[in-house]
Amino acid sequence: MESVNCPSCGALLALRDPGLPYSTCGYCQSLIRRSNGTAEAVGTVASLPLDVSPIQIGTMFTIEGSSAIAVGRVRWGWSDGSWNEWFLRVDDGRHYWLGEAMGMYMLTSEYPAALEVPAIRNFAGGNPMAVAATVKAGGKWFHAVDVKEAACLGSEGDLPFPTFAGRTMTNADFRNADGDALSVQRDDDGTTVWLGHWSDLAALQPRNLRRIEGWTVPGELA
Amino acid sequence: MTVARAVTCPSCGGSIEIRAAGYTVTLACRHCGSVLDVAHEDVRLITAYKRASANFAIELGSRGTLLDIEWEAIGALERRSPGAIWQEYLLFNPYAGYRWLVLADGEWQFGTLLLDRPEGSLSSVKWRGQTYTLDDSSEIETTIVLGEFYWRVARGDSVQCKTFARGSSYLSSEASGTEVTWTQLVPIDRRDVEGPFVVRQRYKPRPDLRAIREGYSTAPGMDENDLPMMFLVALGALFIIGILQNLLSGPSQCVSNRFDVVVGAADTTHKIGTIDVKRPWQFVTIKADTDKFDNRWVDLDYSLVDRRTQQSIDAYGIVEYYAGTDSDGPWTEGSHHGETLFARVPRGSYDVYVDAGSHGWPSDPRPDTLDPKNPWSAPSTVSVWLAACTGGYSWGMFWTFAVLLFGVPCLILWWRHQD
Repeated sequence: MESVNCPSCGALLALRDPGLPYSTCGYCQSLIRRSNGTAEAVGTVASLPLDVSPIQIGTMFTIEGSSAIAVGRVRWGWSDGSWNEWFLRVDDGRHYWLGEAMGMYMLTSEYPAALEVPAIRNFAGGNPMAVAATVKAGGKWFHAVDVKEAACLGSEGDLPFPTFAGRTMTNADFRNADGDALSVQRDDDGTTVWLGHWSDLAALQPRNLRRIEGWTVPGELA
Repeated sequence: MTVARAVTCPSCGGSIEIRAAGYTVTLACRHCGSVLDVAHEDVRLITAYKRASANFAIELGSRGTLLDIEWEAIGALERRSPGAIWQEYLLFNPYAGYRWLVLADGEWQFGTLLLDRPEGSLSSVKWRGQTYTLDDSSEIETTIVLGEFYWRVARGDSVQCKTFARGSSYLSSEASGTEVTWTQLVPIDRRDVEGPFVVRQRYKPRPDLRAIREGYSTAPGMDENDLPMMFLVALGALFIIGILQNLLSGPSQCVSNRFDVVVGAADTTHKIGTIDVKRPWQFVTIKADTDKFDNRWVDLDYSLVDRRTQQSIDAYGIVEYYAGTDSDGPWTEGSHHGETLFARVPRGSYDVYVDAGSHGWPSDPRPDTLDPKNPWSAPSTVSVWLAACTGGYSWGMFWTFAVLLFGVPCLILWWRHQD
């Protein structure tokens, strides 16, 4: 595994996805930007609030027969709560976001084609997303269930964007009756569309789950 | 590393642990019941209460294993619909997420939030290839909140709830605002719950009361005006009873006779005729009619004498008519007609006899005195026509049925219109 020394505190940081430009130092909360073999501290990020997520950096999943590993996490907060988004890297280099909410999981991969959908293009242009808007993506129909403004509460691991406190995004979530999920995220860097489905933890066949004090990992997940 | 986030209640200062840290948004303080916003680092008071309600069957923080997974009860709600009160418990396991335990009517249900949603119409929905039909639709109000929840919750929250049933499994949809959540509810044996979790019997919703309320308010037709239907049914039933009584009374055969009875004289015996009772049991009716008289009565002692055994069945009849004038003006009482019913006469051939005697009121006229109004009259007599018939009809029974059948709807009608 590749590693990097934190330019700020000197700690040795393991890199689970060296291809990603940003890493958070787990010791001094410095945000490190890496490019062309150099690493520089570009600021600090808030430490993650305590939670009881069963996932940790290094948790492995099986997605459509391929092995994937959690390499980073962003925590987003909005007016009525907060949630984790885990960044997963598949062996072949593809990435997924794994959103964690209500004890359930939304696994999505980027689906740029949906940016051409009029309602999404309109949203990407800075306009509000109509609640109950209906869009078609990946051959499936979806309807918007909620649109929320979220702010970055902290991060860990390797990530594709900087996670300074104060980074905000607008997130529109779409669902359908089959448990499919579509997530449209708009921030200062632009708009991305993520397509996937909802599932429970067991369906992701996780390994190396976080040990949470006072709880035993259920047999099927251990 | 401990994973429980400890916060201090801004209302009562008590220390509270958040068990589902990172997920929990609302916390109702276990000390004072105040509802707190714990979505963010700073704990905000939403509504202050003075005292936590501990009237829940499962103590929050207690754990139990259900369906091979250990669950901790972290939140409890008391909710009510127009016809029922029940309790809901939020169960949490960091590896398995959230589930529900619902305690209603002494029965437990295990609830799972659905990721794939049922689709369908107002009266039925389809989910995973199976059809569930609408069972109930009502507004549900949350009355008591305790513990922690992953969404915003408060006392007095109300949602529109629809329940669809397939056997003992239910799909329940709750709509609040634009958001609709679907939960699958399956029955779970009470021993499976009351073994692992500590269940305080005294705080369980009382099943009997609830069942009565529920049964009353959801009884078929309760929300419609079924009074016209009740009258119609009563009328129909009475009609059928009438026909039935007529059929049961059997073939009718009559004999009749006429004779005179001297007023004040000794009783005389007359034979009316012979009748045959052709069914195992039958009614026999004897009707008596007299000519006009005032202030007389005629005693009629009937005997049905079985011609084979000479056993007799006796009954008594009377025809009486009185007239007079008092301080309220003229009055009359009685009639010139009498009817006597023999309820159970066994099969056989009967001679019908009557012992008849007539008397005057207030005293018998003396046979040897003349009526001063009518000095040329013969001794006063009463002519009696008697007709004895097999069959016959119990009007008493018929009217009893009528009162019973129409009594309830009439009572309801009166009760509704008394204001």
